[in-house]
Amino acid sequence: MNERSDFDELLRSRLEGMSEPAPDVWEGIVKGLDRHRRAVIFRRFSVGVAAAAAGLAIAWLVFRGPQTGEQLQVPVQTAQHVDVTTPGPVTDETPEIAPIAEQVAAFTRNQSVARAEKVDKPSTPATAVPVSDQTGEPVEPKTEPQPSVATEPAANPAETPSVEPNNPVETQPQLTEDDLPDGFWDGDDTDTRKTHTSQLTIFSNLTAVASENDLIYKASPSHASSQTGKGQATSSVEPLSGSPKFFVPLSAGVQVAVPLTERLLVASGLRYTYLVSQYDMLVNKEKFEGAYNQLHYLGIPLELSYRFVQTHGFGLYASVGGAAEKCIAQRYVYGSNTLREKVGGLQWSAQAGLGAEYWFAQRAGIYFDPSLVYYFDNSQPLSIRTQQPLQARFEVGLRFKL
Amino acid sequence: MSEGSTYTEAELIARCVKGDRVAQRMLYERYSSVMYPVCVRYLGREDAKDVLQEGFLTVFEKIGTYKGEGSFEGWMRKIFVNASLMQIRKSDALRHAEDIDETPESGGSLDYGVLEQISSREIMDQVATLPQGLRSVFNLFVLDGYSHSEVGAMLGITEQSSRSQVSRARSLLQEKIKKLYERKK
Repeated sequence: MNERSDFDELLRSRLEGMSEPAPDVWEGIVKGLDRHRRAVIFRRFSVGVAAAAAGLAIAWLVFRGPQTGEQLQVPVQTAQHVDVTTPGPVTDETPEIAPIAEQVAAFTRNQSVARAEKVDKPSTPATAVPVSDQTGEPVEPKTEPQPSVATEPAANPAETPSVEPNNPVETQPQLTEDDLPDGFWDGDDTDTRKTHTSQLTIFSNLTAVASENDLIYKASPSHASSQTGKGQATSSVEPLSGSPKFFVPLSAGVQVAVPLTERLLVASGLRYTYLVSQYDMLVNKEKFEGAYNQLHYLGIPLELSYRFVQTHGFGLYASVGGAAEKCIAQRYVYGSNTLREKVGGLQWSAQAGLGAEYWFAQRAGIYFDPSLVYYFDNSQPLSIRTQQPLQARFEVGLRFKL
Repeated sequence: MSEGSTYTEAELIARCVKGDRVAQRMLYERYSSVMYPVCVRYLGREDAKDVLQEGFLTVFEKIGTYKGEGSFEGWMRKIFVNASLMQIRKSDALRHAEDIDETPESGGSLDYGVLEQISSREIMDQVATLPQGLRSVFNLFVLDGYSHSEVGAMLGITEQSSRSQVSRARSLLQEKIKKLYERKK
């Protein structure tokens, strides 16, 4: 049954393919597309940084070796265990004991990193295994009840270093801090050595710009071409006066910090930065509206930081420094075409800021590092850095103690 | 901007898929005047502008999913129809769809020759003055060619309700066109 009447068909023929001048909504469409593009870029960047951080964290966990707090507790526990007051016969259940110095030496041979979970330091010197007066046999040591886990024998006897049972140890040397391998945490919170550890930092940051519209900085027309870098003098691309838009710069990188003193660290590494601008430009004398300029920088930052608060895994610090960055790639996207151009010179910058860090694990922490950065005029291509040299930067990242 | 004015539709689409802003602008200029009336039919002139913008954003974001099956204009039209229905749902206009059943069916019959005496724009404006629920059903079934079952699924009503609403809308529209013609005479 045909449910469409003649009226329907007639009406449809009159309205089908009808056109009427539409109100101009192109500007709104462009804004929407830019918003979408930014969201995509930010999402990809975030995923990349998260994946890199996760990968490094996994690699660090995998390749740091079998060192754990429990393993390190073994020699110390054993030393406490044989601190006896009453002689007695040695039984099969008696843990076999190795000289602590040997165990520590063996440990340092096998471990690339030597920082243990916090364990109780032996309060008394390790003494000789008691020997029966009558038989000369070693006797079972009588232990005082110890509440802490550090006083219990190792859960896995296989992990306990063994000695010949017929060769009882006459004396055990007292374990002092000097006997411990370098970096071995003796459990003393006041030990300043724990703050003298080099750190690996993985970071990403957003740079705040004077925002008019979400994550975009829109420059006033008068600034557009005057801020063009001198480096573009020989370029076939010429920015035109207008209202350039600058997307929020994104950075990521790694740094290694080396302690100079207990509280002072110097850090350096590699930083990658991605800058995107959009403006009208002349390319080989032909005008293109809303073309994109993409800049990729690779830089070496150098920072000095002073930790003025360090307590219970939490730290506050101030930092100053600078960076030299080289533009490793520049790309113009206009219409459906792209054009790559080299950029000479270095971009120099200085920065100062405050930071907070929290060590959520013994060797891993997070930090937040807001700072002010000033970019010097080094004849670089038009970007947010040439347009707004002073910027606030918000850096977050992960830190690992090496 | 010199290049591109001679792009075929396929070239234009391919460039839009790559995010070429110039091609996007050209596509917008080519189709905005065709899609705007679609939005007006569903929403009236006041809201059509916003939906036109939303529709083009969707087109540019989804254009990579167009596989060349069927006409590109038809594919775009579906997007604008859906965008219009989304807008109608947002404004909750369809909640009052039941009221439509109370709309009295006009007995006025129209001499179809009258349609030749009034412009397409005037007809479109008469469609846009139908009550929201009737307008949506009438647009989907009569002008955009969906079946009653498809209309029912899109608007959350039964097939029977779609049929009766189309019938009422048809009668109401004929009456409106008749009155318009008499005013113009």
